[in-house]
Amino acid sequence: MKVAAEKKDIKVETKHIQKSKNEGCELSKSQQTRVTSKKSNSELNTHFITNKEKLNTNIQAPSSILPFIERTKLEESKVKVVKEPEKACIEGLSKAEIKAQRRAIQDAQRNAKINQKSIVNDKQPEKSIKKVENKKAIPLKTEVFKTLDKHRVSLFNHLYFEEFEKLQSLKNFTICNNGVHPVFFKLGEEYRSKSILGSNARCLALLSAFKTLVIDFKTPPNQEFYRSLELTIGVCVSYLNKCRPLAVSMTNAVRTIKLLLTQSDINETDIEKKKNVLERIDRYIQDDIDTAGEAISLRVQEKVSNGDVILTYGYSSLIKRILVDAHKREKRFKVIVLDSRPLLEGKEMLRRLVCNDIPCSYLLINAASFVMSRVTKVLLGAHALLANGYVMSRTGTAQVALVANAYKKPVLVCCENYKFCERAQTDSFVYNEIGDCEALATINTSERSTELVNWKNYKKLAPLNLMYDVTPSDLVTAVVTEIAVLPCTSVPVILRIRPGE
Amino acid sequence: MLETELVDVINLISDIRHGKVYTSYDVAIHTEQLIEKLISEGQWNTAEDLMVLIKARINRIMSALPQESTPVNIMRHILKIIRELYDTGFKYKSEGQQSLHHLITSNVDNAEDYSKPLPSLRSSLLDHLAEYKTGLELSTDNIATQALEHIHADEIILTVGKSNTVEKFLKHAAEKRKFQVIVVEAAPLYHGHEMAINLTKSNIQTTVIPDSAVFAMMSRVNKVIIGTHTVMANGGLRAACGVHMVALAAKRYSVPIMVLAHMYKLSPLHLCYEQDAFNICASPADVLPYSSGPIINKVHVYNPVFDYVPPDLVTLFISHQGGNAPSYVYRLLSELYDPNDNEI
Repeated sequence: MKVAAEKKDIKVETKHIQKSKNEGCELSKSQQTRVTSKKSNSELNTHFITNKEKLNTNIQAPSSILPFIERTKLEESKVKVVKEPEKACIEGLSKAEIKAQRRAIQDAQRNAKINQKSIVNDKQPEKSIKKVENKKAIPLKTEVFKTLDKHRVSLFNHLYFEEFEKLQSLKNFTICNNGVHPVFFKLGEEYRSKSILGSNARCLALLSAFKTLVIDFKTPPNQEFYRSLELTIGVCVSYLNKCRPLAVSMTNAVRTIKLLLTQSDINETDIEKKKNVLERIDRYIQDDIDTAGEAISLRVQEKVSNGDVILTYGYSSLIKRILVDAHKREKRFKVIVLDSRPLLEGKEMLRRLVCNDIPCSYLLINAASFVMSRVTKVLLGAHALLANGYVMSRTGTAQVALVANAYKKPVLVCCENYKFCERAQTDSFVYNEIGDCEALATINTSERSTELVNWKNYKKLAPLNLMYDVTPSDLVTAVVTEIAVLPCTSVPVILRIRPGE
Repeated sequence: MLETELVDVINLISDIRHGKVYTSYDVAIHTEQLIEKLISEGQWNTAEDLMVLIKARINRIMSALPQESTPVNIMRHILKIIRELYDTGFKYKSEGQQSLHHLITSNVDNAEDYSKPLPSLRSSLLDHLAEYKTGLELSTDNIATQALEHIHADEIILTVGKSNTVEKFLKHAAEKRKFQVIVVEAAPLYHGHEMAINLTKSNIQTTVIPDSAVFAMMSRVNKVIIGTHTVMANGGLRAACGVHMVALAAKRYSVPIMVLAHMYKLSPLHLCYEQDAFNICASPADVLPYSSGPIINKVHVYNPVFDYVPPDLVTLFISHQGGNAPSYVYRLLSELYDPNDNEI
């Protein structure tokens, strides 16, 4: 419901972008001057609250967001004035309505000013009003902070980000729209709702969005095409980063494209330049993702023999491709798909393998020890390969590798070159992503019910849904890349020879 | 032995199968009551008669519920009590504890004769059983009171699924000390959810993680405290599915694993790594629901219930008597059961 509501918001916003942009500027200017011209806060506050109430009822914000709204109400009352048009566009009001509302606000403020003038002679009452307000405000604030600490695992405090602030900044983005192409709003929402999931899929979606951007791009007057495109890409990418932290594959792709832009020839017409950029993006998709996948697939097929029992975990587009390719080449093997909550990506893997007539078994990850003795090879996908040879992948990958290691089974990690990352990481705590806690509290494997649905009622309870974990290099037998089959520790060597670094 | 004579044990088996008697504590208490009733009301004259009756029940349970060790262990222990009382009744051996000499020679004189009638046996047995029963009832509390010896302030403790003993243990520690608990949800039964809610009700900071995040979290965990289904003779565990993985992760990060085990969970049997030899599979519908469509016709879905954890992954057993290393389990076993009863 949350996602649906937000999606709606964004749609509405994109419609209103142009209007609200212009009006927003006027409005904020006029009101900011008013704010500075000393008027009693009480009037203002009551005003915001009524407005906020409207907002609450209108967006039907999920209860988790409400405390944050409350906090910002107190802290950022000044900013609120600036955000007036934004509320309007959330509510989906027409231009006339916005105007009417604005007029009402201005009237109220004028009245406030008049009232204030009458009080100015006598300073005492004004102060007392302020004092009362402060007394009211302080306990509220602490309460709000308490609710913020709730349901959080202190080890991961650095990874949580305010859902509401996030939304706010997203909306700011849409309002002051620094040239973010609408396709990125759609994409951002797809990332956020995890309807596009997986390192490769996210990267491909990003690249195709870039292509749309390039096609629609108009060079601003007196600016050079590549420079301004680079800037726009930067803005779009930082927008996407706010929706969901970028995958390593995406940062690498963005970096490569930016590098291409800076190295390109400036003395061409814009049409040629566009063609050039599109061509290069296509070549990136072709070479670094598609052909790389094919090369890896060929390499792994050499290692798959008849009668093998291959264990895999979750969903990886590359692993799926390898297995399907191997099956098409008349290799006869069985696949065991392990899966884990809450994403249950393994089901997708299972579905696609079964569609290709590959015999499959399906188990949850805690049964890894149950099947491991029957397995001959373990194939795992990766989110990124880190400079110290550790593998970053979906949570649970490390565990599967660990069990495989205990049963002395070879573990092959398949990863395209473009997912290599200069970062070195030894634990799953510093860089990670916290997924939706709600997903953990709802059971999606069976029709069971769980008490955890009401986790928000318990102050000291915190479901934790980590997205990634880091597999130590000693648990991995080899990494298969398009260049070679390598031990994990050779990752920095590949990083060094990678072009354009 | 006729089926009609075994009706008590058949009822118990059916109760366990249908989940009416679910926790191992309940199973233990019910078994003890069954034997108590058998002793007070059963048709027997000599110790040998009684032992035949009990052994028939053990065989019945072992064939019907091969994975359920608690009732068998309870009965085995009662067999040992009978032997001891018989021996002391006839002053065959010196009173009190078994001597080291006896321990060594006990296997030799296994052709003992229990056929002489001993009139005082029934009453003294009932006395001993009453004592044993209170021991069973207090066992959880006795384990819980040791909590403060093992949990220090500000620890991060990981536990898997739900165990009443672990829950009490942690709650007892929480009365005095502040610490965090990470509960692994243990899909597809999700007992971890219930555990987490129970703990958080006692004001313990609780985090619920999916089974997949164990390795990621383990590096920050101070201790793993779990319950188990059975402790095998070598100190290994037959525990809930997924515990082996947790134990491997703990071993990798040198995190101590403490297993809270009642005495009746100690089994004189051994397990091998061969999964089919000890595991059972529950309904696969919990893993892949029937609503998944035509795909379920084409895949094998397994939902194993148990995991074997080898003794080298376990750090400590905590029973009501205190803490013991896995290497000491053999000694506890020889105190609990008579070597003649290990195989029935």
